[in-house]
Amino acid sequence: MAVRIPNTLNELPASQPRFVGRGIRRVEDASLLTGRTPFIDDVVLPQMLHCAILKSPFAHARISSIDTKEAEALPGVVAVLTGEDVLRWSYPAQSAPEGWGSHCMATDVTRFVGEPVAAVAATSRYVAEDAIELIFVDYEPLEAVADPFEAMNSDSPLVMEDQGSNVMMDRVFNWGEVDQVFSDAEHVVREKFRWHRMGANPTETFGCIAEWSPLDLSITLRGSIQSPSMFALGRASTFGLPPNKVNVISHPHGGSFGGKGGSRGSDITCMLSRKADGRPVKWIEDRIEYLTSGGSQAWDRHYEAAIAVDADGIVQGLDVQLVDDIGATGDMYGAICAAKPLAAFTGPYTIQAARYDLKLVATNKLPSGPYRGMGPPPHFFVLEQLMDRAARLRGEDPSEFRRKNFIRSDQFPYTIPSGNEYDSGNYGEVLDRVLELSDYTEMRANQVKAREEGRLVGVGVASAIEPGVFDWNAYAIVGMQGTGVPEGATVGIDVMGGVTVRVGFALEGQGQYTLVSQLVSDFFGVVPEAVQVVQLDTQSAPPSFGPGGSRLGVSITGAVLGACEKIKEKMIRVVASLMQCEPEQVRLLDGKFGVEGVPGAEMTVPEVAGTMLARSDLLPPDVDPAPVATHVWTAAGRTEPDEEGRAKSYLTAAHAVHVVQVEVDRATGMVEIQRYCLADDCGTRLNPATVEGQTDGSVAQGIGAALLEEYAYDEDAQPLTTSFMDYLLPTVFEVPEIEKVAVVTPSPFTPLGAKGCGEGAIHTTPAAIMCAINDALLPLGVQTTEVPASPRRLWKLIQEAQS
Amino acid sequence: MKPAPFEYAAPKTIAEALDILGQNDLDEVKLMAGGQSLMPLLNMRLARPSLVLDLNHVEGLDGIREESSGLRVGAMTTKRVLEDSDLVRSQYPLLWESTVAIGHAPIRNRGTVGGSMVQADPASEYPAAALAFDMEFVVMSSAGERVIQAEDFFVTYLTTSIEPGEILTEIRIPRLPPGTGWGFQELARRHGDFAIVGALATVRVESGLCCDPRIVLFGAADRAIRVPAGEACLEGAPPSEASLTVMGDAVFDAVEDPLSDVHASAEYRRDLARVLSKRAMSEAMSRAS
Ligand SMILES: Cc1cc2nc3c(=O)[nH]c(=O)nc-3n(C[C@H](O)[C@H](O)[C@H](O)COP(=O)(O)OP(=O)(O)OC[C@H]3O[C@@H](n4cnc5c(N)ncnc54)[C@H](O)[C@@H]3O)c2cc1C
Repeated sequence: MAVRIPNTLNELPASQPRFVGRGIRRVEDASLLTGRTPFIDDVVLPQMLHCAILKSPFAHARISSIDTKEAEALPGVVAVLTGEDVLRWSYPAQSAPEGWGSHCMATDVTRFVGEPVAAVAATSRYVAEDAIELIFVDYEPLEAVADPFEAMNSDSPLVMEDQGSNVMMDRVFNWGEVDQVFSDAEHVVREKFRWHRMGANPTETFGCIAEWSPLDLSITLRGSIQSPSMFALGRASTFGLPPNKVNVISHPHGGSFGGKGGSRGSDITCMLSRKADGRPVKWIEDRIEYLTSGGSQAWDRHYEAAIAVDADGIVQGLDVQLVDDIGATGDMYGAICAAKPLAAFTGPYTIQAARYDLKLVATNKLPSGPYRGMGPPPHFFVLEQLMDRAARLRGEDPSEFRRKNFIRSDQFPYTIPSGNEYDSGNYGEVLDRVLELSDYTEMRANQVKAREEGRLVGVGVASAIEPGVFDWNAYAIVGMQGTGVPEGATVGIDVMGGVTVRVGFALEGQGQYTLVSQLVSDFFGVVPEAVQVVQLDTQSAPPSFGPGGSRLGVSITGAVLGACEKIKEKMIRVVASLMQCEPEQVRLLDGKFGVEGVPGAEMTVPEVAGTMLARSDLLPPDVDPAPVATHVWTAAGRTEPDEEGRAKSYLTAAHAVHVVQVEVDRATGMVEIQRYCLADDCGTRLNPATVEGQTDGSVAQGIGAALLEEYAYDEDAQPLTTSFMDYLLPTVFEVPEIEKVAVVTPSPFTPLGAKGCGEGAIHTTPAAIMCAINDALLPLGVQTTEVPASPRRLWKLIQEAQS
Repeated sequence: MKPAPFEYAAPKTIAEALDILGQNDLDEVKLMAGGQSLMPLLNMRLARPSLVLDLNHVEGLDGIREESSGLRVGAMTTKRVLEDSDLVRSQYPLLWESTVAIGHAPIRNRGTVGGSMVQADPASEYPAAALAFDMEFVVMSSAGERVIQAEDFFVTYLTTSIEPGEILTEIRIPRLPPGTGWGFQELARRHGDFAIVGALATVRVESGLCCDPRIVLFGAADRAIRVPAGEACLEGAPPSEASLTVMGDAVFDAVEDPLSDVHASAEYRRDLARVLSKRAMSEAMSRAS
């Protein structure tokens, strides 16, 4: 049945939506705040064992022998797993690019510090950790490579011997007349930039409980899993099973941000369970494991980039060379972070031509993975620094320079050179609002005064696009397949009128269960508390991907409204039959079905549901008596990528401008954020409180990226930042009050006009802070090109400037 | 991240605690105070004692008392108690500033004054405060009690002159002489982090000249250190910007070989020692009379 899903709030069957569009209290919070939500570590199964994993201390070494006898003899130890078992029972993981996946455990050679080498299942985690100390491994250390430029040299040690090279991918994409616009340019601004490795750090690390069924060779895997269906596919591929033999039960989890990779840990526990005759095996990744061998690291980038500016100050070309250090393997999917910039390559600007010279390189570091934003945040950091330099070169204010390069509101839908289409926007308005909010003119005046006093005060203005509602086709250039990411929901109304919505994803923090309740409440005229949202496992759920790529808000809205529409259509037929009128005369409004032209002829939604379920005697013979429907939503109009990777991929393009004021302490290099203002436009705000929460969190992570977070390695690829003492996350003390203002330009393409907004501010924040720091440093004649701008780096730069 | 197996004892009196120490191989015993440093070490299996002797139930080891000469602080007194003490805040403000710069509230709720002293982290505030105040450390063993002066207490990284078998019971904190101005400066990557470098300064100004200046640095060497060369520049000098510059340069020269790590190179730390000691001393001068 084709359904039409409302594109605006007015199209909902409510005279005035009472819940959608309002910052209502979240339905998930009572249980979260009272500690009743069951996280994976709270789950205890009968006969459950606990896993501990022995990790490689070497970045690159050959394993000459492993002796597990003493560990096996330790009382409480039930199973010990080594590479030998792993070779017998599993395949290397899927990866991007293809062929760069490894087994979940080193089988002959270790490729990074922290790679699993052996594992134990025992009656407690204590015993398991005692046991791994009794496993004796002989390593023959090999030369390691930690630098991607060295890794590209022909004499470099090889991370994956079979590949014959450390270069995972080397391709140049040309979109438009790049050489032409650069040779015609009035100014060319070119610079090198370095974005150091950083990444996701959810409050809860990965955890799982695996059960291998010896009866029917199936797996039940519980865990703090972000993308259950994809996880099931991954395990199925590892074990050569049909995907429907892997049942993934995702538990509510303490955030993800892309960091809940967890594939190695789950494959290991599956095989330990197999060795332990099917007893459930739990593994909770500890923080050191997460930081050194989990889904923690992303975006280790070396850029050289340029823009071409014409005589009118219009940016015509963008040329980006990226060497992306992916680490030891491709199975954590860090490569898709290098592909995603295609969805918004030229940012909010009318840049005509672009080139992307992309090299993905393997080194002996932890394989890189996804992180909130997936790759555009460093890309926009680079673009925005170049924009500032060009503005300065022309003596133009950075905000006005951006304005004149913005895509105009009458140009949408707008196709960018790298192929994606932006749905809608009003970039000038967003800029106006933030300049107003920040009192930009006065900020600049204060800056002049501060400079006269010798203080290094700077203002940054940065603008970026957040591609929303991800699509696999955006990652085609690194080998991901498929177009479309379906999300399904089943809505059912019971005999008492209660509405239950069944979805395929777990609570992760963003409040999607609240959104589901809001939608259903306004559609059927009930209250959110009456809506039950139930999560199904992968064997029961409709097609679902879950949260990721700023998609779920839009997608689940489509799925839920689609299912509601289908129920409405069935109910209309019932009502028409009961009221003896034509279905076309029946209208649903505010929870009641009425008949056009017949005042007083009304039935409430619960009455209709009750009739369908308990009064078969009244139903017309050909009606489907179930007030239940499933709808699977997927973005319309997505296209197959062409040979240059161009496709309509991400469905929406949210936009933001941030204005930041910082002061740099010239003696210490410390940066203080003095004001943080932003305006953003993510279309219709289905729950403004949720959007605000996402924005605050995302600014915080952006501040971490700009100033604090960095995974450092030494020349031998030994990690130097293995705990929260050294990997520094922003805390409440480092994040200032964030002043926000919203602009709403609904999307013409999405359910209710909403745009993806979950990843949000991190697209813009690092760029804005770096612009502000460089503005502050201007009087010294130096500029920083490295993220994070840690105090020791800035101090060094200032020292050099002063000597 | 679970500790290796260990035995656990929780004596109620000092005598009992000393008794247990007497019955065990001293190299195998770890005393536990607030556990804020010890527990992570146990969990990471970097410390592997066979016996953990918990001091939390020993009577008489906590609390603050004021006497004419100064404070007596029980070794097991938590940092939070000092933070919440009006006496400390009003009469020993430099001690109070040093206290609230340590970690975050939950760490100060459990972490003890004695624990921080014995942990002797070179980037820790309290050992520096000990040198600024000339604190005295009272330790007990089966042989009886002895008192160690602050300048003899801190030996090097994570090492004090306390011997195995000794328990720190009390810290005596003299009052600073009347008219003493003080300053506290610390640079950490984030609020609550261990310092990259910190500086404490005290000084009096008599007849318009600096008198008894004292500069203590933390995070600048293998332990908290005084900087006599810097102090000497100020003794008898006017409390001026020019004097501070001379002092700062002397501090820079005196800090020869600071630590280098992911957060700060040795040269950066050295320069921070100069900058922060100047800022701390400048504050001290403005508070001195
Ligand atoms: C996140 C975090 C941030 C922190 N930030 C800071 C900071 O900014 N500045 C700072 O200074 N510290 C910081 N700390 C460390 C904290 O202050 C610790 O509390 C302190 O170092 C140890 O005190 P404790 O009472 O917890 O001692 P424990 O950890 O119990 O013991 C520490 C050591 O002292 C020994 N010991 C303890 N008491 C006695 C005694 N009475 N006699 C003999 N030996 C004894 C123990 O055997 C052990 O070796 C931080 C800790 C954490 C977890």
